[in-house]
Amino acid sequence: MVRVTQVLEAHVLGEGDWIAATEMCQLCRLDLEAVLELAALGVVAPRESHPGQWQLPATALPRLKVVGRLMRDLGVNASGAALAVQLLEAQRELESRLRRLERLAADY
Amino acid sequence: MEFRDYYQILGVERAATADQIKTAYRRLARKYHPDVSKEPNAEARFKEMQEAYEVLKDKDKRAAYDQLGSNWKSGEQFRPPPDWGSGYEFSGRPAGAGASARGRRRAGPSDGAHARQEDFSEFFSSLFGGGTPFAEAAGRGGRDHHARIDIDLEQAYRGTARTLELQRPELKADGSVELRAHTVRVSIPAGVTEGQLIRLAGQGAPAADGGGAGDLYLEAHILPHRVFTLDGRDVTLTFPVAPWELALGASVAVPTLGGPVEMHIPSGGQSGQKLRLRGRGLPGQPPGDQYVQLKVILPPADSPQARALYEQMRAQLNFDPRANEAR
Repeated sequence: MVRVTQVLEAHVLGEGDWIAATEMCQLCRLDLEAVLELAALGVVAPRESHPGQWQLPATALPRLKVVGRLMRDLGVNASGAALAVQLLEAQRELESRLRRLERLAADY
Repeated sequence: MEFRDYYQILGVERAATADQIKTAYRRLARKYHPDVSKEPNAEARFKEMQEAYEVLKDKDKRAAYDQLGSNWKSGEQFRPPPDWGSGYEFSGRPAGAGASARGRRRAGPSDGAHARQEDFSEFFSSLFGGGTPFAEAAGRGGRDHHARIDIDLEQAYRGTARTLELQRPELKADGSVELRAHTVRVSIPAGVTEGQLIRLAGQGAPAADGGGAGDLYLEAHILPHRVFTLDGRDVTLTFPVAPWELALGASVAVPTLGGPVEMHIPSGGQSGQKLRLRGRGLPGQPPGDQYVQLKVILPPADSPQARALYEQMRAQLNFDPRANEAR
């Protein structure tokens, strides 16, 4: 018998949600400098909620986590990780389109 | 536990220099990194090489590891010697002490690639310890967590509840750290789609510096469905129809995630045509649509009557299906 100690309400993060840059840094294990460089490279679009307080779109988290892992594990810099993540996303998009087309072709 | 040959894992000689080890690790990491690799077992291989590199890149750990001697074979049964670790600057912990740390996974599989020490093998933990659960959080506020949660398409449509076992390091009165499991029930609202993040505020690991607990993030993964395919919030269904339903038009009952609905097929359609049921995809602002792709199934000509009908069509319909094809 499982004893549930707490019931939690989940908040689904979407387009309109923002995460503080410092929190995002912790989540992705990136330093703020790298996040700023990634913003300059167009990988993520920050906003200034209050003077000096930067926020990042919650939807950028999966992408920034990949960037963080690539930087740590492969020793690439922010610019290299940004390029890799953009190519990986393009590859995933093509694979997803290919799967859809293969499914359609199989139906004929 | 089984001995691990870290040199063999990285494919280097025991006499390899620090630079050679780094180069070998980088080369293998590029090949097996789970974010980029298509190799089978990439994640397991990658964790193994991260563990090997963790030891061999560190002068003290490597020296201590080398002290075990070169006679061990990978996979051989192993126990650390009694005087293990003396004279080296890392915190060795007794055999088995790393087990609780290794088991520290939240809410299903970890977030993929990056192995932390708790992901390393029993062999590693017995030699070098599992690290304290607070080690990485030190001075950085609460360490948040990110885990994947698998959800059926129907559950994503209706909303669902999940029971998760979360393990939190808690500071005991004597100052030691203990991992305590607590079971929580999370209600996940309707309309969660692939890759979306679910935040459980304050459910991450507490901070070592007395700061607030971090948040726990769950990344939704929608499991493939038997009949529906998902694209964003839209779902697509391939729907079989008879030729006369397409030619003459028909009203048919079409399955949707919310149950069957009546759909009108206009006359004169073609196989492969897509019809849209607005708002019948995953809920949201705006909700997704359902696309119904019509697929004609021909009745088999397996009886005299069926053959006669096909022959009648051939004789009486002046029909060339390839009239528009380039010749």
